[in-house]
Amino acid sequence: MFVLPPPPRYPSQVGYGLVPGYAAPMIETNNILSHPSGPEYQFLVGEGLYTLKEDLHLATPPPHPSEAPVINPNPLATTPQPATAGTSLSLVNLDIRPPPPPGLFRVGSRANGVQQSIQEHPDESRSSSGVRGSSEGARAASSDAGAIFSNTPAFGEGNTLLAQTNSKDNKRKKPKNSMTKSNSSFISRVIVHESLHKRLNDRPADGLFAFANINRAFQWLDLSSPSKADYLTKILFTKAHCLCHDVNRLTKTSSHIDVIMGFSTGEIIWWEPISQRYTRLNKKGLINKTPVSMIQWIPGSENLFLAAHMDGTLVVYDKEKEDAIFSPEDEAATRASRESIGVPNGVKGCNYTSQIHVHKSVHSKNQKANPVAVWKLSNHRINAFAISPDHRHLAVVSEDGTLRIIDYLKEELIDLFYSYYGGLMCVCWSPDGKYVLTGGQDDLISIWCISESTLIARCQGHHSWVTSVAFDPWQCDGKNYRFGSVGEDCRLCLWDFSVGMLHRPKAASVRQRGSSFSSRFASLQRAETQNTTTSNRLRSDSNLSSSGDAPAEETPEPTTAKQNVEPHPVEPRARTAMLPPVLSKIVDDDPLCWLDFTKDGIVTSCKSGHLRTWNRPSGDSSTPSQSQHGDDN
Amino acid sequence: MAGFFNKLKSAGAGSSKTDNNASSKNKRDEPAAELTPLERILQNAGPLREDGSDKYFGLENFGNTCYCNSILQALYYSEPFRENVVNYPPLDIPSEGKTNKVKVSIRPPVQVNGNATAPGRQLPKPRQGFTPGPIPMTIMQPIRPEDRPDAPEYKKKQAMIKGPVLELAQENPDAYGMEECTFTGLKDIFTALIQSNSRTGVISPQRFLDIFKRDNEMFRNSMHQDAHEFYGLVLNDVISNVEAYARRMQESGKMNGTIQSPLNQLSSSPSLMRSMMASNFRTPETSWVHDIFEGVLVSETRCLTCETASQREETFLDLSIDLEEHSSVTSCLRKFSAEEMLCERNKFHCDHCGGLQEAEKRMKIKKLPKVLALHLKRFKYTEDYSRLQKLFHRVVYPYYLRMFNTTDDAEDPDRIYELYAVIVHIGGNAYHGHYVSIIKTKDRGWVLFDDEMVEPVDKNFVANFFGDKPGMACAYVLFYQEVTFEKMREELDAEGLEEMRLATQAADLAAGVEQVNGTEKNPLTKVNSQPTVPVEDLDPSVSLAHAQTAPGGISSILKSSTPTQAPAPEPYSHPLIAAPPPAPVVMTKADEAATVPPKSKEELAKEKKEQKAQEKVQEKARKAAEKETARLAEKERLEKLAKKREAQQKEQEQLAKVMRESKQLAAEEEKRRKKEAAAAEGGTKSGPSSPGLFNRAGLGSRSLSRKSFAFLGKTGGGGSDKSEKSSDRAGSSSTEHRSNGSMTSSGVAESNASSRETTGDGGNGFGGFSPSSPLSPTSRGPNGIHPHHHPSSPMRSTTTPDGLKRDVRASRSASTSSIPGPPPTPPERFEKPPLRDRFSFSIGRKKSSRFLS
Repeated sequence: MFVLPPPPRYPSQVGYGLVPGYAAPMIETNNILSHPSGPEYQFLVGEGLYTLKEDLHLATPPPHPSEAPVINPNPLATTPQPATAGTSLSLVNLDIRPPPPPGLFRVGSRANGVQQSIQEHPDESRSSSGVRGSSEGARAASSDAGAIFSNTPAFGEGNTLLAQTNSKDNKRKKPKNSMTKSNSSFISRVIVHESLHKRLNDRPADGLFAFANINRAFQWLDLSSPSKADYLTKILFTKAHCLCHDVNRLTKTSSHIDVIMGFSTGEIIWWEPISQRYTRLNKKGLINKTPVSMIQWIPGSENLFLAAHMDGTLVVYDKEKEDAIFSPEDEAATRASRESIGVPNGVKGCNYTSQIHVHKSVHSKNQKANPVAVWKLSNHRINAFAISPDHRHLAVVSEDGTLRIIDYLKEELIDLFYSYYGGLMCVCWSPDGKYVLTGGQDDLISIWCISESTLIARCQGHHSWVTSVAFDPWQCDGKNYRFGSVGEDCRLCLWDFSVGMLHRPKAASVRQRGSSFSSRFASLQRAETQNTTTSNRLRSDSNLSSSGDAPAEETPEPTTAKQNVEPHPVEPRARTAMLPPVLSKIVDDDPLCWLDFTKDGIVTSCKSGHLRTWNRPSGDSSTPSQSQHGDDN
Repeated sequence: MAGFFNKLKSAGAGSSKTDNNASSKNKRDEPAAELTPLERILQNAGPLREDGSDKYFGLENFGNTCYCNSILQALYYSEPFRENVVNYPPLDIPSEGKTNKVKVSIRPPVQVNGNATAPGRQLPKPRQGFTPGPIPMTIMQPIRPEDRPDAPEYKKKQAMIKGPVLELAQENPDAYGMEECTFTGLKDIFTALIQSNSRTGVISPQRFLDIFKRDNEMFRNSMHQDAHEFYGLVLNDVISNVEAYARRMQESGKMNGTIQSPLNQLSSSPSLMRSMMASNFRTPETSWVHDIFEGVLVSETRCLTCETASQREETFLDLSIDLEEHSSVTSCLRKFSAEEMLCERNKFHCDHCGGLQEAEKRMKIKKLPKVLALHLKRFKYTEDYSRLQKLFHRVVYPYYLRMFNTTDDAEDPDRIYELYAVIVHIGGNAYHGHYVSIIKTKDRGWVLFDDEMVEPVDKNFVANFFGDKPGMACAYVLFYQEVTFEKMREELDAEGLEEMRLATQAADLAAGVEQVNGTEKNPLTKVNSQPTVPVEDLDPSVSLAHAQTAPGGISSILKSSTPTQAPAPEPYSHPLIAAPPPAPVVMTKADEAATVPPKSKEELAKEKKEQKAQEKVQEKARKAAEKETARLAEKERLEKLAKKREAQQKEQEQLAKVMRESKQLAAEEEKRRKKEAAAAEGGTKSGPSSPGLFNRAGLGSRSLSRKSFAFLGKTGGGGSDKSEKSSDRAGSSSTEHRSNGSMTSSGVAESNASSRETTGDGGNGFGGFSPSSPLSPTSRGPNGIHPHHHPSSPMRSTTTPDGLKRDVRASRSASTSSIPGPPPTPPERFEKPPLRDRFSFSIGRKKSSRFLS
């Protein structure tokens, strides 16, 4: 195979327009593996001592040579900067995995939670039994190939146009273009390890792969190899920064991996690393021009994936379809989009707080080309989203501080919550689908109970914005939950919570939408509206009176609630439980941007590309029978 | 040359939009001909507003005065503050409102060809630019920074050339009935901006700064100064000016019952009077600065031996917070309120146990201010170098904020704040550098104010100053203002649109996609970006056209306006028409000239193209008409000016006369006053100068009340200005200790608390910055906390009758007059100024007792 020479090292002074007084960052083109040790690379939690296993520094690429070096030393320059997302990874394991740890999913307790939330929508009752069935495999499904959800309907079910010509043979369709021979101006250079196939053959079957995007570079690493610092493949893009990526858990085999990447230009690349072939989607931003902040395969689908664009749109693409110029299909959507272009609406107009605007439905009859579906949530950047373990709901967080719970099968907004203040930056579901965690610019992690649509607790312990949260499924059972978080303060925090332990807000009753929040609502709302003469915009279409005497009042049940979701007001601090961390430790020198749990430990990554693996306490492994686990982030 | 450079650059980069801008600038070459980004967004701005929220003026830098400029802008854009400054002292007769027109002279524009400046002033003094190092100039030697069209130097120069450059040349104190002071200086600037009939331009704050420097000795040099310190001093000056004025009004009113000042009317009954005095002039009239900026801190100290908790309250005008690497403002604020152990050298003297004990202390906020100023302590004193070092910690600040560190009984503890101004310090240390401010304006989004230059920026720009970006620019003071949740949501919705557009652009940029309609999508154009823009933005003729096609009233008009037009207005916010007018009623002169007769209605509906063309024509006509009216207005204004000048002359003659008299009086008075209490002043003054008053009254048409009286006060005090002040100070400081009686419980808890030496405020901190700053060699020592403690006062806590009252005014006056007040307490006393270290400028006056007795 033709192998390109190693890329040149760029003199660092030219690379960045740095000002004297600042240490120029080392621009390294090779990954460096190191094993720092010592007391500062350990931390003690209840279950034992975590130690740093290794630090893999992924090379941060310098700007492309064709890009003009930043010579403007003016710190006030208003030239737009390319979006960047630090280092984000996904860990993938090709092994067909045995079921997840027992005791992790209590079918009973889980059904309680989810069923309730679902029954809010009466016409959905048919699926309430299905939840139970899917729960078993909820987590496993996210990574397992071939998991069938007999009861949770697949996304877009009923639309025959979307039906797969489900090829049972393992000959999966590959992308069109060859990566290595590409002369696209989008891709600057591709470096494939010289003995890629040898390495692929030699590696253990259950070894972890890692895919990582760092600015304009994308790396494919084999974490099970002793020479893990040598990437299997590295792609450098020309100007576009890769902001996110995802690996299809359903289709991955040793001969085929579907990777999808989202870029700061809005473009998307479908890449198959083993054959080194790729396809570009949303080329030149034909469908949506704004950066893709998060991208994820729709669980259980071979072809469909969901991309969050920064203009507040969620778009479902099909990896194999061509792009077509998109214009909103339904009337309301057209109006909304027109509004968003030119005539901004101050008070009235399209209301993003009560519903999502389906610009194109999965059930549309026009499914010849991409996009498959388009949902406009708001005009704000979507920072992250997460798909619930039962593959039914989406939790979406935005820069304006909203958390939306969406039933993506039915394309409906279910709930809308607000952060304490500031934007929300990350979100995840508990393994059993009961709880959602969000982290944001208020330095807090909030725990939301979806079935009761309330805020359970706020977690205070970070010293800066929270950039990533994840549950540790090995430390969770039906009652006690362990999750971790990282933030811009370079800290890793670990948290334990059990629902019984937390003081629940008094008013939290079983009835979700009615009196439970209105009483709490009243106090804060009153305080906040006292200066405004205008009536409460958020509640203008609600049945609750804005006069503040709401406690006794009850909202009529689902019929109205279904159409117009009432945003939940911000809980006052005095009424919310505050949870302290069980651990808060600075684990890196640079702001952290991602974390994940594996069976063996915790993996964190930072903005400058350090990938650190922290081993779990060696003596006591809570679930020794489990194989290594690569979970989605 | 510049053109050549540009070509080079754009060939190289081929990406940035500023290049396009730049080259287009060069093509035309005539700077007056093309629009700056700011002017572009203001193109269809409609009539001027009366509240001044649509004025975007640069402030002239005459040598190291950027600290002043950045703060002034931040203050101006604080709506409540601006309103209050402009409306205080309240004029008695509203119809006379225009008489206090500020005397503004417009400086002749600077010659384009270079160095000629206005007579008598050297304009472009060497000032700090943006070149903290010798980076760029090495590459292109022959091009001076001001020749590069994208350089701030160039833009500043252009701003000066373009003008109008407003100058407040003359003293204008008598219009307000106050002697010239920091407050009047500020008021002059604000009023001049509001009254200006241009939206953009440059105003010279020199007059203001002269006055300020007169009153604040340590600013009397041309060194780089600390913006935060300046902010605190200005506020304190304003407070004392306003209160001094109120006091004088009251006193003279009391002495001379015939003269009715509004204040006097209020307090005509003796009981009322007493209650007012008891409230220490914190009448609604004078307490507005407190209302806006003042919060209350509670420090709780719990003795670990006897578990007794004591509390102590103090007020603050801003919070100075210590920084940590990789933290957020939220976290720094929480740390500010974190529990603190008082042990070892900093033990706490507990009254209950009677001795020095270990104790826990924490500070919480009891009352949240309306405007929360957060001073990030970026300058740290290092013993090693015995100088202030700048901390380049990355400290993130959110656009919205709530405070975690409130007391349980705080009112509205979940109050939400929005970031509205960021003061940025650019430079490597505390002794050099440059300040700029980035301010969220009412309806034009974020705007960068860099001395003379004013430029709209996008929201993301605000997040460039966390401290980790190259260029050494860091946020230094953050201004958060109270906001309601609904308003926040609304604004967020608006900003979302803008952000979306920018994201698209950035994407285009990165993808190398050529702009199809380049000019329209210029990153700095913000015409369509702000959805809440009120009616001014709507081209009136456009709205008319729509009114004709859409019969459904205003709401339908709003809906029907097409995307290409200016954002939909909210009719009620029209500044000139009070009642929300149905669109057709909005007939300005310009419109009448410009609008086509309603016949064209059907055509309009039918043929869009024609409509557009028509609109263009209308637009042109309208513009022409506007110009015409503008010219007329200008004429009128000039005439008025002339008239006014005449009047002024007359006044001046009068004034001179009165001055002569009063000077004599003042001389006599001065002797007396040295021994007299401050309270006696007003009466002695008012009597003799009354002839002047009568003269004036007979002469002008002004009423006898407030204004003329004020004039009197001024002239009376004119000659003895200084002495009056100092005695005033003496008065206030002498009352200091009395005022404290009520709240003493943990006076020493405070003073006992551990010094936060980590921040290295060197002991006697006046704010986080000044004290140890070698910046101003003049003695700033007494500024800090120490003067407040009686050197002799024993270390007791709860029972201290004349406890450790902290009054910034006292401290300030101590430092400015540099004689009175106890000498800076040497640091051998183990009590350190813990609080000072963390916050500054507390106005520790209690309502209770200052003027009782």
